[in-house]
Amino acid sequence: MTDILTPRERFGLLVIDEKPDRCNTIPLITSHAASVRGMKLRDYYTNGENMARAQIAAIEKYGHDAISIFSEVGIIAEAMGTEFDYPENDLPIQRIPALEKKDINDIEIPVPTSDARLPVYLEAIEYAYDALGDRVPILAYIPAPFTTGMMLSEPNRFLIQTIKEPDHVKAVMEKSLAAAIELCYHAIDAGGLPIIVDPLASSSVISPRAYRQYALPYERKLVDFLHRYDLDVILHICGDTTPILDLLKETHADLISIDRVDLTDTIKKLSSTVRVIGNYDTSLLAFSSPEEIASGVRDMVKLSMQAPKGYIAATGCEVPIHAPFDNVMAFINAAKENGWYWD
Amino acid sequence: MLKNIDPQKISLKEWSRQFRLLDDSEIRRFKYYNNDEWGIYLSPPATFMVYGARELRKLKLDNSLAALRLWGFALNESERLFRARQSGKHIIATMGDLGTVPVIAMAFPDCIPFYPDCTWWTPFFNESTVLLDKASELGTPEASCFVRSTLAAFHKMAYFPKPDILFASTGASCDDYSCIMQMVEDMGFELNWLEIPFRRKKQDHFTDEKYARTPQGLDYPERFETYLINEYKHVWQRMQDLTNDGDPEKLGESIKKNNRLRRLVDQIKALTHGAKIAPFPALEMMVIEFGNLYGYADIDEWIDILEMVKSKIIDRVKSGNGVLDSDAIPLAWITPTADPLLLNIVEDLGGRVVATEYVINQALSEIEEDIDPFRALARSFMNASLIGSTEERIRHISAGVDSGRIAGVIITNMLGCSHCAMETRAIEKRLKNVPILAIDIPAPLGITEQIRTRIAAFIEMLK
Repeated sequence: MTDILTPRERFGLLVIDEKPDRCNTIPLITSHAASVRGMKLRDYYTNGENMARAQIAAIEKYGHDAISIFSEVGIIAEAMGTEFDYPENDLPIQRIPALEKKDINDIEIPVPTSDARLPVYLEAIEYAYDALGDRVPILAYIPAPFTTGMMLSEPNRFLIQTIKEPDHVKAVMEKSLAAAIELCYHAIDAGGLPIIVDPLASSSVISPRAYRQYALPYERKLVDFLHRYDLDVILHICGDTTPILDLLKETHADLISIDRVDLTDTIKKLSSTVRVIGNYDTSLLAFSSPEEIASGVRDMVKLSMQAPKGYIAATGCEVPIHAPFDNVMAFINAAKENGWYWD
Repeated sequence: MLKNIDPQKISLKEWSRQFRLLDDSEIRRFKYYNNDEWGIYLSPPATFMVYGARELRKLKLDNSLAALRLWGFALNESERLFRARQSGKHIIATMGDLGTVPVIAMAFPDCIPFYPDCTWWTPFFNESTVLLDKASELGTPEASCFVRSTLAAFHKMAYFPKPDILFASTGASCDDYSCIMQMVEDMGFELNWLEIPFRRKKQDHFTDEKYARTPQGLDYPERFETYLINEYKHVWQRMQDLTNDGDPEKLGESIKKNNRLRRLVDQIKALTHGAKIAPFPALEMMVIEFGNLYGYADIDEWIDILEMVKSKIIDRVKSGNGVLDSDAIPLAWITPTADPLLLNIVEDLGGRVVATEYVINQALSEIEEDIDPFRALARSFMNASLIGSTEERIRHISAGVDSGRIAGVIITNMLGCSHCAMETRAIEKRLKNVPILAIDIPAPLGITEQIRTRIAAFIEMLK
């Protein structure tokens, strides 16, 4: 069947609780876009125009339903002082965490228009919005406070601090929240719809207790800030979130993107009040055949189309940088073909 | 918050900065259909820009809370219509008559009238050819009026919900629009057509014996009144069939409510156009005028917003403050611009709009309350802009020119609008004593430096 709506129109209907022509299809095509464009990764994540052009090339190739401005979750931490190496063909690698050099009280809230690579992100959002913003939503990925906090620290030490130094962790959270809000504010003015990503708050990384104590309150504050704008807020957490599935509602997010969680269980628990996004296993995108992917995606979409509040067909995590193009195409075609709501 | 700021027009980014100062309680104070869950609409321009209204990046908007409320409400209309449907209300598409059928629809409980034809503006607010291109694919000629975007909107059903009932006017109305509505009908929508008669003065070669006059002083054959009353009773009957309701007293109440809105807008226009310094921008004033058609799908909230706007304007007039320089050149604007940016540009270049003829005269004057309501509606419609002569259409502008209140006239022509092409010449002939600038509105993103230069030269000449 031929699409009737543009991705912008399709997403617009979803967030006002209307069924669009077919389900939105938004695999998390982030740095994979650099492969589509035939670009070195470093050229992608250090230059806003490059990032946007790669994303546009991916949309033109695959025809999915949103542009994802993102490379990795360290961008805010970097602007707050964490140092990264920039390998030519890999994503930035954390070298010296900011909190190894400075006290949290000495770290300043970054200025998104000038600090580190935040201007790269803003430029990418603006460029993509200029090019396609009337027909495609531009998603601006914003690392949540907990993830930024971990990127400001030596990870193991930070996890221990969640148990032994709660006041310190809360101070880190507050500052990371302020930084995230500042980035959101500028991302919105550039035309991006913020999507909050908190991969390090996954139950694969921290306990439900730590999630409830440190991650959730700041996710919620960030969501509430965005609700002041009447924006529909997406929260994405990678990995296994089964133990915190019930808590996710308390974030106030309007759309929840899940990874390694049972989809039936998620729909049962969440989808009366939030739209569910997910959750095709990205490792299969890298290592399965197009036929296997088409079959798996068909089953996923058929199951999820029943979600009362709506559903977005997506991958559980980022599409692997070097996933075969035919495999990604198989995902998208299968989601589109099997996701029709309209007769 | 926002109480002690000097009036001015500000950019989207400036509005975002200002919006951060607002308390949550202020944001949650205003809601449509009085719904706490999804009825909030006080969002900054950036919110609507994020969802695709790209021209907001270029537009400068008034910096008052009242204006923020006005814009939030107007730009939120699409969502509001879907929410209306979800909450069990009937969606009534009223097309082409511009101002009278919605008064009937509002007499029925939980019926929300709206104008699909107002999708006309969407390609410009979005800086997008999506709807226009789709309309061409669906069979409209590319040279037809921008109202063809309505056809695409009916095809997509993403801009408004499928109406429960559709009324469309034809006859002495815009021809391109009528053709588009025929195509909508051919797409499977059941249209209820109304025919609009052509208003004419008494002349010897016409056989009509009796003529009547509207309270606004326009003559028409009296039998047209009977004709329109029958058309409106047909609308009433269809509404009764839809709702299993229909209390004639409610029609009187609807007329009173719409009159309240019309009086309010009349006062706002008088205050704004008569002030020494323009207290409110022309773009917002256009939004206000068009709200008279149907109250942007929640007339009670819209009236409340306009009360706030009026209060703000009174404050500004009293304090001698405004949004333009005191020496801005007073202009009349004839035919609404499809591209809102043009109103900004004219003001930025030193112009000030002090009189308008936006082809909706029928929605601006009060409806008589002391006669049969159907007759009152028929007589009200007889004031319509496009059903009579050019002379009658622009008589208020002519009076403004004669009194010296208007120094220049801008006429905006629409690509493909045959009406515009013919009438602009006629208007120019009628307004011989004032300089006129006629601008052809290009497709979205089409405003060029050449157009700016023409406007700048025109205003410079008037100075």
